[in-house]
Amino acid sequence: MSASRAKYDQLIQDLRSELRPQREWGEGRGVFLVIGHFVVGVAAGTWLFGLLFGLREALALAFVLAAAGGAFHLAFLGRPLRALNMVRRVKTSWISRGFLGLAAFLVGAPLYLITESRAGYVLALLGMLVMMGYMGFVYTASKGIPFWSTPLHPVLYIAYALRGGIAGVLLSLVITNRLPEDPRLLLGLWILLTAAVAVLFVIELYGALTGGNPAARSSAHALLGGRLALSFYGGTLALGLVVPALFVWAGYAGQLSAGVMAAIGVASALGDFFMKYSTIRAGVHLPVWLSRA
Amino acid sequence: MRWGMVIDLKRCIGCYGCQLSCKAEHGTPPGVFYARVLKREEGAYPTAQQLFLPVLCNHCEDAPCVEACPTGASFKWEDGIVDIDHDLCVGCRACMMACPYSNRYFNDAPQSYFEQGATEYEKARSARHPANVVMKCNFCRDRVRDGKPPACVANCPTVARTFGDLDDPQSEVSRLIKTRGGFTLHPELGTKPSVYYLPP
Repeated sequence: MSASRAKYDQLIQDLRSELRPQREWGEGRGVFLVIGHFVVGVAAGTWLFGLLFGLREALALAFVLAAAGGAFHLAFLGRPLRALNMVRRVKTSWISRGFLGLAAFLVGAPLYLITESRAGYVLALLGMLVMMGYMGFVYTASKGIPFWSTPLHPVLYIAYALRGGIAGVLLSLVITNRLPEDPRLLLGLWILLTAAVAVLFVIELYGALTGGNPAARSSAHALLGGRLALSFYGGTLALGLVVPALFVWAGYAGQLSAGVMAAIGVASALGDFFMKYSTIRAGVHLPVWLSRA
Repeated sequence: MRWGMVIDLKRCIGCYGCQLSCKAEHGTPPGVFYARVLKREEGAYPTAQQLFLPVLCNHCEDAPCVEACPTGASFKWEDGIVDIDHDLCVGCRACMMACPYSNRYFNDAPQSYFEQGATEYEKARSARHPANVVMKCNFCRDRVRDGKPPACVANCPTVARTFGDLDDPQSEVSRLIKTRGGFTLHPELGTKPSVYYLPP
C-alpha cells in the first residue's frame, strides 16, 4: 500500500471517530515544528541565563540554537519560500509575532555578541522575550484543541524555556571546558524550575481530566495510559526528570564535573523535548457532535 | 449582507449528496472534504435510530482561523464568506488547529483518486488545488457571485439546506432560524457561525 493511500485511509478513519487526534503538528514533517519549538525555547532561556551569569559561550550557543530552530520551523512549512508573508498579521497571530521575535533575535544576538552594542542588546532581549512566550500562546489560540487551549499553556512554555536555559548554560560550559563559579546556584535553579514545570503540568493535566471536555480528557488519557504513554513516562519522566535529578543529587554531594554537567544538560533537554512532543501529539480535536444535533 | 446556511436535520436522510456534489463542483483531491456528513447510531432495538450531521466550514463572524493565520491567507470577504488565498498560504496549519469544527484540510501533495494517474477532469481541476497549502469550503463563492446557490444546496434531494442573507430579517434563512429554533455548533466558543441547524 502506498504511503499516500495509507494516509488517506488514516484520515478517513480519523474523520469517522468522535475524538479525532490532530496529526498535522507532530507527525511526518510536523516533527520539525516540535523540534523547532523546543530548540527556540531552549535558545531563549539560554540567552537569558547567559546574560544573567555573563557567559558569552552561553550567548553564542543560544544564537546557534535559535538559528537552528528557525531552520526547523521553515522545514515544517508547506511553502517555506513564502515565509516572509508571516509578518503580515502581527496584530492577531502569535505565529506572526513569533516570526518577528525570532527575526529580531537573529539580528540582535550576533550584533550584541560582536559589537556589544545597545541596539543589539535590546533587539535580542525583545526577541528572547517573544521567543519564550509565543509558542504557548500559539497553542492557547488553538480553539480546536481543548487540551492546549488553556491559559496555563503559555506559563508552562515559559517555565520550559527557563529550565531549558539552565540545560543550555550547562552544555555551553561543558563545550568550552569550564566549570561554573557557583555550581550550587545553577543546580538550585534547575531544581526550582523543574519543580515549577512539574507543578504547572500536574495542574494542566488535572484540569484536562476534570474539566468536563471529552477531547481534553482523551488527550490526558493518551498521555497517561494510551498511545503516548511510552514517550511520556520514558522520555519526559524517566529521562527528563529522574535521570537529571540523580545527577543533580550527585553534583550536590560531590564535585560538579564536566561529565555530570553534560549529563544533566542533555537529559533535562531531552526530557523537555519529549514533554513538548507528547503534549503536542496528544492534541485531540473538539468533537463536532452536540447533544441537540 | 452576511451569507449563511440553514440545515434542517429533520429533512437530512444522510444520502451524502452534498458531499458528492461538492466533490464534483470543486474536484477536490483525496483527503480534502469541503462538505461531509457525520453519521451516528443512537439507542437500541427497537428504538435505535440513525442521526446525520452534515458539516462544512461555518464561516464564523469571529473566525478563529482568520485570527490565527500569520499571513492573511485566511480572510473574510465583505459578504461574510471566509476564504483562503492559496498564493499567500505558507502551510503552517495554525488555522486547522484554531478551527473548532475541524473543517480545514492540508493538501500535502498532488494526488489522484486513481492508481493509473490523474484523469482529465482531475487535471483540469488541479490548478485550483495547489499542494502544500490549506483548503476549505468557500460557500461556492463563484456560484454565489453568479446568483446560484452553493452546489450542496442546489443538489440536496430533500431540500434540507437553505442559503441566504442572515442580515436580512425577511430572508428564508432568518425566518427558519427564528421559527424553528435554529442553533449553531459550539456557541459557547463565541465564534458566531453562519451555518445554523434546525433540530431533528
